[in-house]
Amino acid sequence: MATAQYFMKRLIYIIIVFFFVSIIMFFIYKSVPGDPVRMMLGNNIANPKVYQQQYDSMRESLGLDKSLPVQYISWISKMLTGNFGFSIQYRQDVIRIIAAPLKNTIILNLFSMFFVFLISIPLGILTGVKHNSVLDNTVQVGTIVGYSLPTFVTALLAIFLFAIVFPIFPISGVNTPGFTGTGMEKALDTLHHMFLPMLVMVLGGVGSVVRYVRAAMIDVLRMDYIRTARAKGLREQVVIYVHAFRNALIPIVTIMTGWLISVFGGSVVIESIFLWNGIGKMMIDALNQRDFSVVLTMQMFYVVLTLAGNVIMDIGYCMVDPRVKLTN
Amino acid sequence: MSKQNKSSFFLMLKRMLFGSKHSSPEDIFSEEQIQSPGITVLKTFVSNKIAMFGVICFLILFLSCMILPIFFPIENAYQDVTQMNIAPGFDMLSVPKSLSDNGKQISGGSTFGVGIDKEGYIYEWGRFPNEKLKNIPKDMGKVVQVSAGLDHVLALDEKGQLFTWGNDRFMLGDISLDLLGVTDIKQIMAGYQLSLVLRENGRLYTWGNENLVRVSIPKEVQGNIDKFVSNTGLVIVLTKDGRIVPLSNNTSAFHNIPEEVQGNAVDIALTDRAGAALTSQGRVYTWGSDSYGLLHVPEEIQGRVKELCAGRYHFVALLDDGTLSAWGDTTFGQTDVPSGSSFVSISSGYFQSYGITEKGKVEKWGLKGYLMGTDDFGRDIFRRLLAGGRMTMTIGAISVIISTTIGIFVGGIAGYYGGKVDNLLMRLTEIVSSIPFLPFAIILSAVLGSKITEAQRISLIMVILGILTWPPLARLVRGQVLAEREQEFIIAAKAIGVKEAGIIFRYILPNVITVIIVNATLDFATCMLTESSLSFLGFGVVEPNPTWGNMLNTAKSSKVIGELWWRWVFPSISLGLCTISINCIGDGLRDAIDPKSNER
Repeated sequence: MATAQYFMKRLIYIIIVFFFVSIIMFFIYKSVPGDPVRMMLGNNIANPKVYQQQYDSMRESLGLDKSLPVQYISWISKMLTGNFGFSIQYRQDVIRIIAAPLKNTIILNLFSMFFVFLISIPLGILTGVKHNSVLDNTVQVGTIVGYSLPTFVTALLAIFLFAIVFPIFPISGVNTPGFTGTGMEKALDTLHHMFLPMLVMVLGGVGSVVRYVRAAMIDVLRMDYIRTARAKGLREQVVIYVHAFRNALIPIVTIMTGWLISVFGGSVVIESIFLWNGIGKMMIDALNQRDFSVVLTMQMFYVVLTLAGNVIMDIGYCMVDPRVKLTN
Repeated sequence: MSKQNKSSFFLMLKRMLFGSKHSSPEDIFSEEQIQSPGITVLKTFVSNKIAMFGVICFLILFLSCMILPIFFPIENAYQDVTQMNIAPGFDMLSVPKSLSDNGKQISGGSTFGVGIDKEGYIYEWGRFPNEKLKNIPKDMGKVVQVSAGLDHVLALDEKGQLFTWGNDRFMLGDISLDLLGVTDIKQIMAGYQLSLVLRENGRLYTWGNENLVRVSIPKEVQGNIDKFVSNTGLVIVLTKDGRIVPLSNNTSAFHNIPEEVQGNAVDIALTDRAGAALTSQGRVYTWGSDSYGLLHVPEEIQGRVKELCAGRYHFVALLDDGTLSAWGDTTFGQTDVPSGSSFVSISSGYFQSYGITEKGKVEKWGLKGYLMGTDDFGRDIFRRLLAGGRMTMTIGAISVIISTTIGIFVGGIAGYYGGKVDNLLMRLTEIVSSIPFLPFAIILSAVLGSKITEAQRISLIMVILGILTWPPLARLVRGQVLAEREQEFIIAAKAIGVKEAGIIFRYILPNVITVIIVNATLDFATCMLTESSLSFLGFGVVEPNPTWGNMLNTAKSSKVIGELWWRWVFPSISLGLCTISINCIGDGLRDAIDPKSNER
């Protein structure tokens, strides 16, 4: 009951935060230099009187003659009903152009997340069990390097090694330009293009997850029940994988659920380096083209993602560990 | 006695840096003594090798970025297309051995040099902007005159035949048809993608890329030319009757030739900003724009000058006693003339100068090369790296100060007062932390950045970074303060009537400060990373101000990554090393402060 109440509270609260952030975003959007009406009408000022008339009618039809709060309310109500506005860049409604980049981003993120956990969970367990060993210290240094290096530096290195010195993988794009082929061939081509951005994402992600798993493992291995299990004469493997790892999993699952939601948000830096046509690159392109309705939609999308991520992390925490009681 | 002192000092230094492993019996007793927590933390920290590596590494980077720019100043607006994309190395002045003792004439080009020895053989050295420069023609006789330009060379042999090699676009690869069968050539020059040849009869011929240097020779001048000089935009001639005429229709500062020299000039020299003329009395007159002190001829040489030559931004004069003097820009040591008094001829390339002594010995000075190469605007990467590091670190540091201050205040107040204040502040914290960081920062700097100056833009980035990164620290401080607040010594302090501010700052803050320091250290690295990412994407600090991030901005193309490696390797290494060492320090500090994590 308390949990349900907690989530109700949480939900209301998220809605409030959402509106707050949307107000901030709206006013930033409003402070963009340049008059949108003048931009739409162009510089065709043959007859000042007619121009003024056109200008006024356009202003009215766009609702720009109303006060700012009224404008905000009409904008947010459009936003909430799925009308995200019109993209100047693509000459289409924003909602139509989001699908393809979203798909690309999800594919890339799912794959890299899979590999991050595939590598870092065994590595974290190993270093946690053998902590303070040579292996552990090496991995520790490696993880510091991993999460300290900016992604664009690893990206440049990866391109240099795997696309220039050994030209195995293509540098950019989702598919070979002009690629025609059946579904399977196309999927393989995408995988081939995905390797480098995925490698960079995995290198960046492994560092922090390994540290997390390791810390959780060490904490659990110090518990009394582990000593009991060992005293019973259980095999070390059973102690580690059955008794210890299960409990170490609690914090790990929590961050995993948090990550799950981030699958939908693209990495701006990686996508723009590898020209991976995803959400992050779309936002950068829109910003460079001053296509602000796309930018604003993306931004609100990111806000929703972050908020949802927080809630899902709480739920995950609650589900994995029955001892956790969420109050306040 | 003093020896013993010294060795104990080194022992202490060693212990300070690497910790003491083998403790003598006295040490055991001193360990038993009560140690203040601060000392314990320091000792644990110092014994952590990774953390000490971080400290040393960061200190080296920090000090180089703060101190070295004094010796290697940078001019942000400086660009030079002639020095574009030069690989690291110091071989621009490495004159071949057999030439340096036996030189006859030397000509400096943009980044390379060409010379002939007394036997008429040709030598080339330096960085070649064009691979074709290495194809020296084989069928030349004894070469008597040679000239190096931006990326091509012109040579004249004793039979009066002309040869050219290097850049062959804009018809530079062929000798002008007007000069077929001509043998009375007086002066040749390979200029800025332009070849110039003067015949004994005073007629000047030009061919090549005439869009860069437009030459229009007035009728009364053609046929009356005695000598010519050129820079990257203009040709000026000295007529046989001692007059100086710029060969350009557009009036510029180069047209303000002092009246005193007209009809009296015997030698001229031309830099990119100013011209200089020598009168028959040995006096030098200068005109043009007064950058780098080009117009300020040293007073003591007036009346003693025999010959003049000029590089891009400097003048060199040969005096009547065989010594040299130079003035103008000296960023690369262009005016550091060698001492000695037996020089017979001088010549200047773009940033290099050469002097030849009576015995044929070649002395050279000026730009040797670039430690880390140059970028696509011809700017020295090493200097930009230093300035960029200073910028990146400053932005990181100030953002951390902003975020830490906000974090301490919000967290401290929320934790200490609790209740409604706590609730309100924590909600605020959550609002800020739910703003997606990088996208939001990009939008803010894109939207607000277009209408403000560069300095305001940089401070805007600091503020954005500071304002968006405080929530984690605020939560941490709140938690710590909540725990400390219930301690008995606080109750005791309240009981004896210590004021609230006193309790917060005297009793609670010192107990929380360790957490803050660790967090600030790790935040510093994060802020630097974020700033670099922003600048890398083009939404942070923009050109011409360098930062480590925006130096990598142009390094996205495969050409740069593959061929022009120096443009991305050095900024990447510095940025990576800096963030790695800061994170090592932060990790070490946390391990030292938190004994529980130390066991891990």
